[in-house]
Amino acid sequence: MAELDADIILVFSSNTKILNAEDLLEDKNLPFTLVPVPKEVNPNCGLALCFMESQKDRIMPVLIAADLVPSAAYRRLGPEFSSWDFWR
Amino acid sequence: MIYLDNAATSFPKPPEVIKAITEALLAPASPGRSGHAPALKASRIIHGARKAIARLFGLPDNSRLVFTPNITWSLNIALNGLGLKPGDHVLSSALEHNSTARPLARFQKEICLDWEIVGPGPDHLIRAEDFKVRLRPETRLVVLNHASNVTGSLAPAKAIKEAIGSTPLLLDAAQTAGAVPMADYGQWADLIAFTGHKALLGPTGTGGLWIKEGFELRPIAVGGSGSRSESLVHPDFLPDSLEPGTANTHGLAGLAAGVEFLLKVGVDKVRQHEMELTQWFLANIVDIPGLTIIGPGPGQESRVATVSVVLDGWSSSDLAGALEKGYGIMIRSGLHCAPLTHQFMGTFPGGASRFSFGYFNTLEDARTAAQALSELAQSGHKA
Repeated sequence: MAELDADIILVFSSNTKILNAEDLLEDKNLPFTLVPVPKEVNPNCGLALCFMESQKDRIMPVLIAADLVPSAAYRRLGPEFSSWDFWR
Repeated sequence: MIYLDNAATSFPKPPEVIKAITEALLAPASPGRSGHAPALKASRIIHGARKAIARLFGLPDNSRLVFTPNITWSLNIALNGLGLKPGDHVLSSALEHNSTARPLARFQKEICLDWEIVGPGPDHLIRAEDFKVRLRPETRLVVLNHASNVTGSLAPAKAIKEAIGSTPLLLDAAQTAGAVPMADYGQWADLIAFTGHKALLGPTGTGGLWIKEGFELRPIAVGGSGSRSESLVHPDFLPDSLEPGTANTHGLAGLAAGVEFLLKVGVDKVRQHEMELTQWFLANIVDIPGLTIIGPGPGQESRVATVSVVLDGWSSSDLAGALEKGYGIMIRSGLHCAPLTHQFMGTFPGGASRFSFGYFNTLEDARTAAQALSELAQSGHKA
């Protein structure tokens, strides 16, 4: 049985940052979605950036190079959330 | 109607602006507040406006661009947010609008701000060296109206910034954003205030402020931001820190469309067209008996498309009324919210009659206005 791919969910301090991240990732044709910030783990309004963990090595360098650092990052596997180390 | 009051509010707006506002009005708009699709669409509208303005000014970081209801708010956010203290020295030009002059006058009265005014030269232009020689160790800020809304004089903003070095420059670009090429301003400008409803071709109720890295402005209003909702402390990061409350999504949709229109046409082409009309108009009114041009005359290039005149025997309001009634020409009379300028130009308190051209005016509009002025001058009206 194949191992499930977890979601990585990045919460940014401002809406502008997440929309700049959207522009950047779209320009590079990288796979991601915008989702409501999961209230299970974060009280912020608005949107979060979500991508499959298997894509992290393609996506993270792009965000870091543009200084688009999230204020919080989570890993979701099924219904379970855990903190995720953005820098690793 | 011949509309020559573009320095107040541009008209007409491009069809793209009307379409963008209408489409925005047909959808829910809660930018940055919810996670549903309409909220995301609203967020993208505002983000589109931010990106368009960033391209217009060549801004390196669009998150340091904040939207406001108008440029008066932008300038007040800057002037009140910088933390001016008693005894601080601030330089401004004599051609300031009340949107900067009144806040500075209030600081002068309330905290003994040392506000020094730099006048124009005999050619009606502001000079960089006149700011440089007045700098002191306690000079906290230079405030500059990029172009006068009375005389049309265009100030050498970059030369002034070079002359004042590290002293911050607050640039009032009300009359220049969209009318004068500013694509490199993001490389050197400290604070740029602009409004959406003039040469940017957007609707009223839109404006903004660019804040260079390194400048921290204390918000004059705090509240809902859609970010850090768990905290009673207002966000300290831009743009959220200076954008409390739900943004004017509908207006910013129109502003984005207006700026995109300008970027497509090219601001250099807009300026070329407006200057052709202005120079033609100046050359064809300068010899009208009894008429005085208040500002740079024919052939002077350091100006924008705003021409104020005084006509012997006519009050500024009577002249404006006669132009509207007899010729269908809309202009603005009076002091133009710029009493300082009129004092320096010798036209206080009666003011002047101001003609201001926009991108959609034609040479025929300028011809009709010049002919009307000539006829009214001959009519011998006495105020």
